[in-house]
Amino acid sequence: MNILQIENLTKRYSNHTALSDVSLEVPRGSVYGLLGPNGAGKSTLIRVINRITLPDAGRVLFDGKPITDEDIYQIGYLPEERGLYKKMKVGEQALFFARLKGLSRRDALQRLKKWFIRLGIESWWDKKVEDLSKGMAQKVQFITTVLHEPKLLIFDEPFSGFDPINANILKQEILRLRDEGATVIFSTHNMSSVEEICDHITLINKSRNILSGSVDEVRRRFGENIFEVVYGGDKDSFEGVMQPVAEMLSTAEVADSAYHTSRIRLKDTATVRESIALANDAVELRSWSEVIPSMNDIFIRAVEGKL
Amino acid sequence: MNKIGIIISREFNERVRKKSFIITTILMPLLMIGMMAAPTLMMLFAKGDQKSLVVLDQSGIIAPNLEGDDEITFTPMDITLDEARADSNIFGVLWIGEDVVDNPSNVKLYTNSSSSMSLESNLASQMEKIIERERLKRYDIENLEQIMKDVKVKVSFSTFRNDLSEEGEDEEATSSSIAYMLGLVLGMMLYMFLIIYGSMVMTSVIEEKGSRVLDVLVSSVSPFQLMLGKILGVASVAVTQIAIWGVLVCGIGAVVLPALMPEDVMQTVEAVQMGQMTTIEADIDADLLSAVSLATDVGGLVMMFVWLLLFLVGGFLFYSAMFAAVGSAVDSIQDANQLQTPITVPIILALILAMSVFNDPNSTLAFWGSIIPFTSPVVMMARVPFGIPTWQIVLSLVLLYTSVVAMAWAAGKIYRVGIFMHGKKPSFKELMSWIRQ
Repeated sequence: MNILQIENLTKRYSNHTALSDVSLEVPRGSVYGLLGPNGAGKSTLIRVINRITLPDAGRVLFDGKPITDEDIYQIGYLPEERGLYKKMKVGEQALFFARLKGLSRRDALQRLKKWFIRLGIESWWDKKVEDLSKGMAQKVQFITTVLHEPKLLIFDEPFSGFDPINANILKQEILRLRDEGATVIFSTHNMSSVEEICDHITLINKSRNILSGSVDEVRRRFGENIFEVVYGGDKDSFEGVMQPVAEMLSTAEVADSAYHTSRIRLKDTATVRESIALANDAVELRSWSEVIPSMNDIFIRAVEGKL
Repeated sequence: MNKIGIIISREFNERVRKKSFIITTILMPLLMIGMMAAPTLMMLFAKGDQKSLVVLDQSGIIAPNLEGDDEITFTPMDITLDEARADSNIFGVLWIGEDVVDNPSNVKLYTNSSSSMSLESNLASQMEKIIERERLKRYDIENLEQIMKDVKVKVSFSTFRNDLSEEGEDEEATSSSIAYMLGLVLGMMLYMFLIIYGSMVMTSVIEEKGSRVLDVLVSSVSPFQLMLGKILGVASVAVTQIAIWGVLVCGIGAVVLPALMPEDVMQTVEAVQMGQMTTIEADIDADLLSAVSLATDVGGLVMMFVWLLLFLVGGFLFYSAMFAAVGSAVDSIQDANQLQTPITVPIILALILAMSVFNDPNSTLAFWGSIIPFTSPVVMMARVPFGIPTWQIVLSLVLLYTSVVAMAWAAGKIYRVGIFMHGKKPSFKELMSWIRQ
């Protein structure tokens, strides 16, 4: 079952439409990427999910039922910019946010201790937030987001401000939370992180959902029948036999070997099987693999309207 | 409700623990005392160096009777005017004509530097008295000295309030000058609290918005709860401060002052408080007696602080809701300046109205000023020390707290939209349109 189901959301502000007829489904236990250029409507969507703003039309189902104020205890939200009181001490602040999320003081303290030790920041408890670096503050904020063990986590650009080591720690923690049963929604521009950890994505552009699906499926869908072939033998004879079924894009010699690598685009009439058979007769095939576009390419093509 | 409680306690703890809170709580009473003592001190220090005035008295009547003080000394001399004027070391020369008793205008003052109002009026009044006496002497009255002493009077009176007295006893009213001082202090205090604590709310909202703490907070609590929590949190800080001062003042009145005052003063004060004696019958200065009587009347003081707290909280809730709304709509304090004008103008107006109260605490202007919620907290607190009917205070409070609810509702509407508006500064008109949304 889907933990979150969004049906035909529309949200208008006085001078622009932030969401128009957006629908999507977030499967339980998945890591869901919410992509889109700046100003596309991602933040508005997150706000609607968080019940910060109410939509003009459409509805949000949480666990199969229309979402209520009680459900926000089940959601953890990490905004892109660090939202912490600068003058407040780290520990007190974390306690404050935890209690706002409905934890008792004792529970909150216990869990905070555990998390502070896990992320190696026990010594910051009495520091003021203004004395922390951006990455350090983000760690504190991360803890306040996940502390009440929400079923649904929403992260807005969680890795910005982190060095690679800490980004990796955070990534592991996020995946661990997913393994423990949480569902994670990511809002991000960082496409490599999408490929690494997202199972599903939705791409929002100009207030509309223009692309939804599992990452593998989307990438495949955007494949353009391009293959990379590595082979030993004569380059010209390979090109000769492939002429009827494919268009040659490029060929290169593999360094320090007798092999060539060619990129070809199969014609719509040709099948992979038939093409391999043809090539197999002419050269010694080493590998035949499909070139799948990166999420980055798909993002740019989708946003620029070249679908 | 629980969430509002958590927010209130955060706001309260953060502020009360600040050094600035502790310092102002201690320093403000000292500042108040300083402000009241200031006029006296200024008079003390304003007195210039002693000036010496050469007196050339042609009549021979005035000079021997002039009395010098620490401001001026008189030196009668027998030289010509030109000689005296040539001396630049003296402050000046007072030339008195021979016929001064009949022609009092025949007096001339030559000074080497600018003279002063106080000096001139001192000279004039001394000479007027001397000439008066000289003229009286001409009538050749027997025992003139005795008669003069006998006719000298000084009038001071006790004031009583029929409307406030219980049957059969005379309730002596607080003397007007004491009520004036007290009203001034209370009105000023209300004014300062509204401005200072109100803008505290505004600044804090702007900060939360700027640091994006709001985004996190509103994912746990509703914007209205958040606004309410903040306002109530800051209000509890203000109440704490007033309560500390209240306890301090009552403590001084109940324990410290009676111990410091001479025993006979305290006995008289007690008699006055019991209604056995009026301030005039006592042989102690009436104003002092009245002040001490007021300061040691703990029941009255407590009542005063209760009214103060009620108006302070009501006025604060009323205005801080507006301050919060403005804070939510802008990105920086600079942007807030223009939008907060509609808030600060009524507060300043209230202070001006409060000043007019002192002339006539029961004028129509004072009455309406203390009933209409925009100005009522400040104006009413300025009126309370003069002793006004309780129904007026209650009516004012009811109106104030009713409009607090309406104001919080409207401000909440603006706040809910405002906190997510970044970038362009909205106009006042836009704010109004958010209420209707």
